[in-house]
Amino acid sequence: MNLGQTTLRFRQNSVRALEDVALRAAMKQAADTFGAKRAEAFAPVSDLEALRDRASGIRDEVLADLPRHVETFVASATRAGATVHRAKDAAAAREIVAKVLSDRGAKRIVKGKSMVSEEVDLNAHLEAAGMEVFETDLGEYIIQMAGESPSHIIVPAIHKNRRQIGRLFTERLGVPYTEDPQALTRIARGALREKFLSADAGISGANFAAADTGSLVLFTNEGNGRMVTTVPPLHVAILSVEKIIPSLSDLPAFLRLLPRSATGQAITAYVSVITGPRKPGDATGAKELHIVLLDNGRTEILAGESRDILKCIRCGACMNVCPVYRTVGGHAYGWTYPGPMGLILTTLLTGMAKSHPVVDASTLCGACAEVCPVRVPLVPLILQLRRRKVREGFPDPKERRVMAWFGRAAASPGWFSLGQRLAGIFWPLVRAVGGKDVAGRLPPPARIPFRRKAH
Amino acid sequence: MKVLLFGTCLVDTFFPEVGEATLRLLRRFGADPVFPQGQTCCGQPAFNAGYEDTARTAAAHFLSVFDGDAPIVTPSGSCAAMVRHHYPELFHDDPRMLAKARRAGERTYELSRFLVHVARAHEAGLRGRGTITYHASCHLTRSLGVREEPLTLLASLKGAAFVPMADAGRCCGFGGTFMAKLPEISCALAEEKAASVEATGADTVTGCDSGCLMNLADALRRRGSKVRVAHLAQLLAEGL
Amino acid sequence: MNGEERVRLFLENAAKAAAGTHLLPGPEALRDVLAGIVPPGVPVYCPGLTAAEEAVADLFPNRVADYADAAATVEEVFGAVAETGTLACASVDGRAVQAGLLPAHHVAIVRRDRIFAELDDLFAEVVSAPPTNLTLVTGPSRTADIELTLAIGVHGPERLDIIVV
Repeated sequence: MNLGQTTLRFRQNSVRALEDVALRAAMKQAADTFGAKRAEAFAPVSDLEALRDRASGIRDEVLADLPRHVETFVASATRAGATVHRAKDAAAAREIVAKVLSDRGAKRIVKGKSMVSEEVDLNAHLEAAGMEVFETDLGEYIIQMAGESPSHIIVPAIHKNRRQIGRLFTERLGVPYTEDPQALTRIARGALREKFLSADAGISGANFAAADTGSLVLFTNEGNGRMVTTVPPLHVAILSVEKIIPSLSDLPAFLRLLPRSATGQAITAYVSVITGPRKPGDATGAKELHIVLLDNGRTEILAGESRDILKCIRCGACMNVCPVYRTVGGHAYGWTYPGPMGLILTTLLTGMAKSHPVVDASTLCGACAEVCPVRVPLVPLILQLRRRKVREGFPDPKERRVMAWFGRAAASPGWFSLGQRLAGIFWPLVRAVGGKDVAGRLPPPARIPFRRKAH
Repeated sequence: MKVLLFGTCLVDTFFPEVGEATLRLLRRFGADPVFPQGQTCCGQPAFNAGYEDTARTAAAHFLSVFDGDAPIVTPSGSCAAMVRHHYPELFHDDPRMLAKARRAGERTYELSRFLVHVARAHEAGLRGRGTITYHASCHLTRSLGVREEPLTLLASLKGAAFVPMADAGRCCGFGGTFMAKLPEISCALAEEKAASVEATGADTVTGCDSGCLMNLADALRRRGSKVRVAHLAQLLAEGL
Repeated sequence: MNGEERVRLFLENAAKAAAGTHLLPGPEALRDVLAGIVPPGVPVYCPGLTAAEEAVADLFPNRVADYADAAATVEEVFGAVAETGTLACASVDGRAVQAGLLPAHHVAIVRRDRIFAELDDLFAEVVSAPPTNLTLVTGPSRTADIELTLAIGVHGPERLDIIVV
């Protein structure tokens, strides 16, 4: 993702998204399907609230002393034979990955789904360095072929329908047209199998990293994550520092929560727990394992008032229930992470100057916090960012003037009544000036306000 | 019992009929409602948009107007949630005001909660008519936890039928200043809600927040819908 | 939860995840069940690392040395978890975990005394010294990336059979 300094244009993007009938239908279908499957998956879990408390507590424990957990992870992973690199920012992460690969002459790279790699814009950098990078998650494969970016962190190509994908495969792979998802999946399997077997290196993300054992944990359904991490001789994993959990024995809580929250599955088809590279006597594992731990602003977030966003485990549940996200989709947010958790993380990672418009992308309905499996206080975090936005002077002058007037009226019944009367008198004018956006949707003020009738 | 009626700025300015219905209900169930004339707005629009100082000014004004020990009743889940949950946040570093804010929060009742738990209005055999569906507004349910009370009241209406709408708890897109900042999304959400209302075949849609109902009324009007939009207070008062 | 309940729950949950499940009445039935699952003559990878694997290896005339060339892998796995109907495949004793990944058909033999009640029980056993690779497998490979329509057999097996011995 390009991290330029232009301000994200959330409203303009959302207007475009709203006009895209196919996109809206797809987003709605995804949100409704995942929402329903999530509810179904949690129905038999009798101690859900206790489970959420436990997972939330583990995430709190990590954030309470993240540097120590990171040190423990680095020591454990190193002991297990991995090489751990610390990347301060996106540029450093790109350089480290590129150097590890180029030092070993790696040219053909297979890649598993990783939002962190999107965050640091890894593919473009590796391609510029002359490498071929093949996304292998079916959804990522489709959007890479189309030259697009993910619109959903769990189903990245949700914005494309089967006919668009069928045409894309025909054009780019030269296969006869089909729009049967099973047939399209089979085509992708064939095309990618050869890439896995001939790849020089695999790049993956990680859902969790266990500090006590130095293990990486990946949740997948397709099997590409397993391929990427076990078939090529070199495995490079890139993950952000907050993915750490204290112990591998903490994993079951997240195994129970994350897949149910994300896709409504009791568990994903595959969970890979990788502890170091292949050791003498092993027949599985990359010969070399490099782990890139990305900070990219997390340390700063950790020290500030918004640190609870780092509890997030990227399940996407908050997105599926978000009325805004399900209406406009992920691209409108303009950066890697969409939806409620995304607007918070985007603002914190890219800065208020760039991201202040997405801070408004919430009705504060609270549906997100209700489903968050690790109890991230999403609404308070959004409110905090809005306060920061005001403190730092980003709202436009018109809004500031309206709020100044509002403040005066709210503190004084005299001004308040005057405002009511003026609004009544000038309503036709307000409607004409305010346009169809706001005033046109309000009824005219009552001829006699309630206060004059309430005795 | 004396109760202080917090009308809310929306009811005061746009929907006096909701305020009048609330007064009639409170009187019918033995309360002695008083409308403090100094009241303005709870400050939520400013609070939600990030104008903390402005919101604090409004909150301080509210707390002085609604001082005392009497219960505060308001026909709005959202405004009640503002007082109960956000006022203490606004005064977290001012012990005197914080104590006042907490007390006000404890005294504040959303109307349906008051009618069920204090007035037991659902046992009064109120009359109703037609087919009614209900929008469960966000702050009412998720912030205040008022989920059953409006349904209990609706179920008690003799002669009226209740039909639930799909995704009754999904946001209507009002969101206070949200409707002004992102009007296109706001309209799209209201349209979706209006479609859910129409799909029920009900002749009336009700709820406990005038902001949501106003937004919904606009979307229904644009669809050319004949469905009536009425605050729960109005429906109940009509059955007295 | 006693042993019988663990076995029953494991098979029930594995079946929910679209795995074929087979409970043997006795050890002698393994060959018959396998003969019914694996079509005759297909290239089979069967590592022959355990007694169970050795006992059935001669069932497969077309036994291949490289799992990448196999249409099916028949192997005994590290263990299983009843809570989720999950197989635990581990890179212990020179076992290649990816052998259960590349071929289109994975046949896993599970000893009933290796079925853990809950995920926590499995992790309690491995946490002190985790193998290089521990892969939990629940049902065949799947995706819903195209219009959320379930498709089976993306990169991993499209068919998973589990035999409890």
